[in-house]
Amino acid sequence: MRKTKTAWLSLFLVLGLIAAACGDDDSAEANDDGTDTTAAADDDGGGSDSLSGTLEGSGASFPDAFYQAAIVAYEEATPGVTVIYNAVGSGQGKSDFADGLTAWAGTDSLVKEDEGLDPDEFLYIPTVAAPITVSYNLSGVDELQLSPDTLGAIFNGDITSWDDEAIAADNPDVELPSTAITLAVRADGSGTTSNFTKYLEKATGTWTLGSGDTIEWPSNAQAGQRNTGVAQIIQDTDGAIGYVDLADAEALGLTYAAIGNQEGEFVVPTLEGTTAALDGAEIADDLTYDPLDAAGAEAYPIAAPTYVLVRTSYEDQATADLVIDWITFLLTDAQDLAEDELYAPLPDSLRDRALAQLDQITVG
Amino acid sequence: MTTLTPITIAERPDLTIRARGSRLDAAFRGLALAAGLVVLAVLALIAYSTVDAALPALRAAGLEFVTSDRWAPNAPDGPHLGSLAFVYGTAVVSSIALVLAVPVSVGIALFATEIAPRRLRRWITTAVDLLAAIPSVVYGLWGIAVLAPNITGVYGWMHRTFGDLPVVGALFGPASSGRSFMTAGIVLAIMIVPIITSITREVLVTVPRGEKEAALALGATRWEMIRGAVLPHSFGGMVGATMLGLGRAMGETIAVALVIGSRPQIVANLFATGDAMPAVIVNQFGESSGTFRSALIALGVFLLVLTIVVNVLGRVIVNRVQVRFRGAA
Amino acid sequence: MALVDPPVREPLDLTRARLSTRRRLADRAATAVISLAFVVALVPLVAVVGYVVTRGSGIMSWEFLTSDIPRQYRVDGGGMYPAIVGTLLTTGLAALMAIPLGVLGAIYLNELGRQNRTARAIRFLADVMTGVPSIVMGLFVYTIWVLRFERQSAFAGALALACLMLPIVIRSTEEMLRLVPDELRQGSLALGSHRWRTITSVVLPTALSGIISGAMLAIARAAGETAPLVFTVGLVYSPSWSLSDSSTALSAQIFRNASQPFAGAQDRAFGAALTLIVLVFAFTALSRFVASRLAIKS
Repeated sequence: MRKTKTAWLSLFLVLGLIAAACGDDDSAEANDDGTDTTAAADDDGGGSDSLSGTLEGSGASFPDAFYQAAIVAYEEATPGVTVIYNAVGSGQGKSDFADGLTAWAGTDSLVKEDEGLDPDEFLYIPTVAAPITVSYNLSGVDELQLSPDTLGAIFNGDITSWDDEAIAADNPDVELPSTAITLAVRADGSGTTSNFTKYLEKATGTWTLGSGDTIEWPSNAQAGQRNTGVAQIIQDTDGAIGYVDLADAEALGLTYAAIGNQEGEFVVPTLEGTTAALDGAEIADDLTYDPLDAAGAEAYPIAAPTYVLVRTSYEDQATADLVIDWITFLLTDAQDLAEDELYAPLPDSLRDRALAQLDQITVG
Repeated sequence: MTTLTPITIAERPDLTIRARGSRLDAAFRGLALAAGLVVLAVLALIAYSTVDAALPALRAAGLEFVTSDRWAPNAPDGPHLGSLAFVYGTAVVSSIALVLAVPVSVGIALFATEIAPRRLRRWITTAVDLLAAIPSVVYGLWGIAVLAPNITGVYGWMHRTFGDLPVVGALFGPASSGRSFMTAGIVLAIMIVPIITSITREVLVTVPRGEKEAALALGATRWEMIRGAVLPHSFGGMVGATMLGLGRAMGETIAVALVIGSRPQIVANLFATGDAMPAVIVNQFGESSGTFRSALIALGVFLLVLTIVVNVLGRVIVNRVQVRFRGAA
Repeated sequence: MALVDPPVREPLDLTRARLSTRRRLADRAATAVISLAFVVALVPLVAVVGYVVTRGSGIMSWEFLTSDIPRQYRVDGGGMYPAIVGTLLTTGLAALMAIPLGVLGAIYLNELGRQNRTARAIRFLADVMTGVPSIVMGLFVYTIWVLRFERQSAFAGALALACLMLPIVIRSTEEMLRLVPDELRQGSLALGSHRWRTITSVVLPTALSGIISGAMLAIARAAGETAPLVFTVGLVYSPSWSLSDSSTALSAQIFRNASQPFAGAQDRAFGAALTLIVLVFAFTALSRFVASRLAIKS
């Protein structure tokens, strides 16, 4: 008898638990933009004490090192708020944002029509810029110069071994082994890929595979997840060459090549080279810009922008406040952290325009 | 002392459940039935929701889904959704796994039932169970951190040694990195050894003792006894066990995703990078939307159907063999 | 009629020495090969477990088990506490959902429905369900739950795990119930018990150890699953005990960190792997202990 009672009791317990969990989900539905907020907000920018809750974002792995550092600083300034950024790649970032799972997204590439977002549903907020390095692993070769056409031909699959004459022409003083080239590329939908291939399209006459978040790479390509996955392939494979953000390349001690820019100068990826590229870039009305293959002798040709996506309208005040507070911090106090993490902060004029964008956010 | 009054048959108390009535019984039965039907409900829901979500892609891609090997969901000229490269990858990796795992598993099972001293047998079962208990993601981690970086030397040697043979030489092409069909196959093989071993053991145990003893009595060596009395009986069961192992290998996602290299292509070279159905789903699902996502779900449905068919067939074969010989034993 | 002595023959020499060399060698060789198979199987077990234990214990410490997950992959140190919490939460909740349902379902199959059409259909479908790839379970829960409520949550992850566990629990429980001798049932029924009474006070207690053991194996299996959690459970860096919020799990963290080139991330992955293996082994060992100690005395 006792055992039966226990059985019924545990059954009710289980059902009760399930009901409670469902109840939790229902009440959380009110905040279904990826936040979980309780207190009211304060109206000044970055670092208010009365804000609390969790802000969820995901997206590009390119700026991940910077965003994580900024989050740590922000959480210190604003105790009570937790910001989560899941670096899953620009493609998934845009997709999660479109599905309503996140309140903000990181992306290096622009939103396309079939990605489920209406142009008037979101805003681009530029945050930082950084060089995309062409990192490689070739034993015995510590310095490499690559002209745009050679670079295009390598990634197009036309040059398949390191001792090819085109590479030798770019590097007259270097002894090149005959190792086979392995391309290290992205498996996931990536804004870094998008920017890199846009550059190849613009600047080289040898690239034929188009541009976008995903590319049909030649057969000697190996794909990894996120920038760090590509870096891992380069690190593990002799003869590998791939595109990685500067922060990850430096952290892993990868060697990268100097790329020929428009003036014919071979420039190493540096923050100075990136800032030089940003200076000349034209900024569109929606704040997107294109610093790739910029003019100027000092400009690094593969400088890439990165953006944060926010909604034009959030369902509740608390979420909107959190988002505005966090992004304001990102555009103001956090910019001081950028250079330490190997990202180029925005020029002042662009930064001010970005801050002004936040005023467009409404609630309802 | 109480007096016992005899009762007639007609007067005996009716102990049948029907007569005493039990609403609780009916309620309990209903509850248990409902619990069982949850299985039905969940499966039906899975089937319905996945097929429903997969249809847009199948309609958009049409026959190309099963005939083309070009997978480019974001191509500028429209999505290309050909799944052949992934089916090929799953098939190759599973085949490698079976080729490596089946002999080893049969060997272990035979060792455990025929050759090992009695005391050792419990330890063997324990070892096999432990191998089965290790989560697949740990195998994947070991594969990507230990196996892949260090095995290129072995692949290089095999390429130099066997690469020039006619026909099979194409299988042993150049190896640029440790992430390849072969590495994924090796990791999978390690993972499916326990399941094939345990089922084969169960099958071997049902061989009638009399037959084995008869063979030995006729002067057979132990190997001849195994060959003549044990293996023929167990062959069907071993086929079933293999199929269940195959089902497990086909559905394994994480370990394969980590070490296969993520570049869908149909090549003979086993040391080349490739991609497989569950691996591409887990790698690309998060960023997919619209037709692309629908296509990945369609791949999932395809995989689901294949694994179910293989599993059911395997189980049917094993059950039939078991029933046949459990009765005889 | 005269009795005739049976013809006398030399007794057959069945000693090994009389075998032809070929047969003897074949036997030796076969024994060697089969034993070799066993050794070959031990190699990966030792290699994998050994490496994980060695590398994982390098980073293992009380601090590791109680620290938050670092924000950046590239830093050293930190811990997996949120992942441990997440694994316990999702697996525990999945067990709470799947085990009672599974046991009840198995009771129907073995005690009440037996061989009727519904029972046979359920049995077959439970077998089918064990073959569903775990990634498909994850996609399924993502589509009907995560997208519907527009959030990833520990509960969604638990739901996916429960779907994986349910058929395993049903089948293993049914096996255990089948082992209960029918005489016990018949005796109870003969004494006038109702069927539900018979099941709950005679059959279940007898099969209990086997049922618990099977359930623990299912829990061990669920704790190690990754694919169902990848899209359903989200990501957190600090421990989260809420069912409706994002969470993480040891298996998911191993997966994320496995493809990171940084030493810190790899160390954390191996630390998590060691923790997970210990957890899973403990449950597996416990299940066998329960099964053997409290088994049905036949």
